[in-house]
Amino acid sequence: MKFLMLLAVKNLSRYRRRTLITATVIGVGLMLFLMIDSLLVGIDRESVRNLKQYETASLKVMHTEYWEDRILMPLDVSVPQPYDRVTELHDAGYRATPRTRFSADLILYSEDFGEDGNIPVQVTAIDTALDSTVFDLEQTLMTGRYPEMGSNEMVIGSWMAEDINAEVGYWVTLVTRGNGGFFEAMDMKIVGIVNCPNPNVNRSLLLVPIDTISDYLAMEGLATEIAIALPDSADISHEKELIGTLMAASGAPLTVLSWDEMASDYIAMIEAETGSSSVILFLVFLIAAVGISNTMIMAINERVRELGMMRALGMSDRQIHLLFILESAGIGLLGSLVGTAAGMLVNLYLVHYGIDFGFLMREMDLGYRIQSIFRGTWHVRGILTTFTMGILLSVIVSWFPTRRATKQDIPSCLRHQ
Amino acid sequence: MSQTPIERRVVMIQVQDVVRNYHAGETVVRALKGVSLEIADGEFISIAGPSGSGKTTLLNLIGCIDALDGGEITIDGTRVSQMDKRAKTEFRRHNLGFIFQTYNLIPVLTAYENVSFVLSILSLPEKEIEERTMRILREVGLEGMEHRRPDRLSGGQQQRIAIARALVKNPKIVLADEPTANLDSKTGEEILKLMKQMNEKYHTTFIFSTHDTMVMEYARRLVSLHDGQIESDERR
Repeated sequence: MKFLMLLAVKNLSRYRRRTLITATVIGVGLMLFLMIDSLLVGIDRESVRNLKQYETASLKVMHTEYWEDRILMPLDVSVPQPYDRVTELHDAGYRATPRTRFSADLILYSEDFGEDGNIPVQVTAIDTALDSTVFDLEQTLMTGRYPEMGSNEMVIGSWMAEDINAEVGYWVTLVTRGNGGFFEAMDMKIVGIVNCPNPNVNRSLLLVPIDTISDYLAMEGLATEIAIALPDSADISHEKELIGTLMAASGAPLTVLSWDEMASDYIAMIEAETGSSSVILFLVFLIAAVGISNTMIMAINERVRELGMMRALGMSDRQIHLLFILESAGIGLLGSLVGTAAGMLVNLYLVHYGIDFGFLMREMDLGYRIQSIFRGTWHVRGILTTFTMGILLSVIVSWFPTRRATKQDIPSCLRHQ
Repeated sequence: MSQTPIERRVVMIQVQDVVRNYHAGETVVRALKGVSLEIADGEFISIAGPSGSGKTTLLNLIGCIDALDGGEITIDGTRVSQMDKRAKTEFRRHNLGFIFQTYNLIPVLTAYENVSFVLSILSLPEKEIEERTMRILREVGLEGMEHRRPDRLSGGQQQRIAIARALVKNPKIVLADEPTANLDSKTGEEILKLMKQMNEKYHTTFIFSTHDTMVMEYARRLVSLHDGQIESDERR
């Protein structure tokens, strides 16, 4: 074994240029993969964080029939006595807030907006004090302030404000159907504009006080959902079960949904993204495999007579295989070291500065909950996997040319020119 | 064809009616046509003949690196022609040494490493490997050159490494295929003297192929092949 290792190392340095070129090919491939992996994992982590902090919270309690009809945003399948449930949740140590979501027509007036018009919107009614214990929206106020409870005030997302040329102090009217089906029109004053890291929120957010809406829409104290925030380290499914049991004690027909159930569109996208990441990984490894395979074929062809001599002197096929495996593992190790080091350097930039995709996110909904800068992350498992795969792949692809070398009969090897 | 029977000495190699055919497309080349030969322990024997006479083929078959199509070869009582690939490898590792026309040294290894690797694959203790390698290098006249790579040695010195490599494991038989063909006559003679010296000292059976008359003169027994058959077998 010691001799084989010595010979492998000496052979690698004998064909120094070829070893370095192959190792570089592997290194560049692994570096690219590490870059993509870091970005994808970083984007995913930040998207999930922004989803929970600004959009879905960690868990939501709803009426058992609400989720199925959620597109219609029905008001008649709501959470009864939401504040009692919120108190129970607070007592159990959870941060929770009631919310009512409804669809409406947003009427714009020429006095403020330059021209009359209307757009369909989704409105979220919040308890302004409690909501900030669950969501971080108040901290992202760009201008103005949060609405006061009992007032006809509204906060709007920054991109929506840009699209309709809205400013703080402008008046709008929300036209919708109340609980029972009657039409209701509510005049609202824009008092704040929110610019948060979640583009979906900037694109569509309209926040109004829940008590004002309860009066207008005859909700009689009902809310369509209770949002609950959990720490990042929490076991979501376990907490979901605990809260489900807690809510069931009230006797009301309530269900608990986790953030990933509510953001199924996002989860589907991430799964598709994992698939494409695997394709990239496959391509990277294919390129590396061709490089290593080519190097090993050349190395074997140049040493056919040498191999014939070693076999004649009693070196077994297993030892010959091991020799080439050690050589290819050496190339793989070098490539993995180069690739991982370069990948980590590039990642340092990605983690600290990231890549600004703001121009794209403003115009298109890519599904990611990131407004502009896509940052990488230190994905230790990914780095370790990539490093190991670089070496393993080198060993695997060297197997076939080595096998061919030991298949050739010894006299032919010794005659080889 | 004449064949001299072996007297008194122990038979080391028995070649009986050996046939070896090669296929070149649809043509069958009959390299050996029923060759029979007995070689005693410690002989210094030359297999001579023109190109294509079958001498290398015979050497390869005795060296267990080629498979025969008919007949049988027995070495030191072992029917090597019946062995599978793995057993032949094992047999070669312990019993046979090879010297090649083009030396076939590993260019990245030093003289010492080129010799000692034969003992490494026998998994001998490090100390023993060192002692035996240094001793044989001394005996072939390469003391002080053990750290040199083949590219820094002359052809004669490279062939001395090859001889040391063949002998270091104390094999029963050393097979040398045209060992002096790549050397000038003076160096070739030195190599032959060295081989003969080693044969006398270690009592190792030396079989070498050649078509050089000077080389033939050194042999104590000369077997001449022609068209895959033994033409003559004479002792000196």
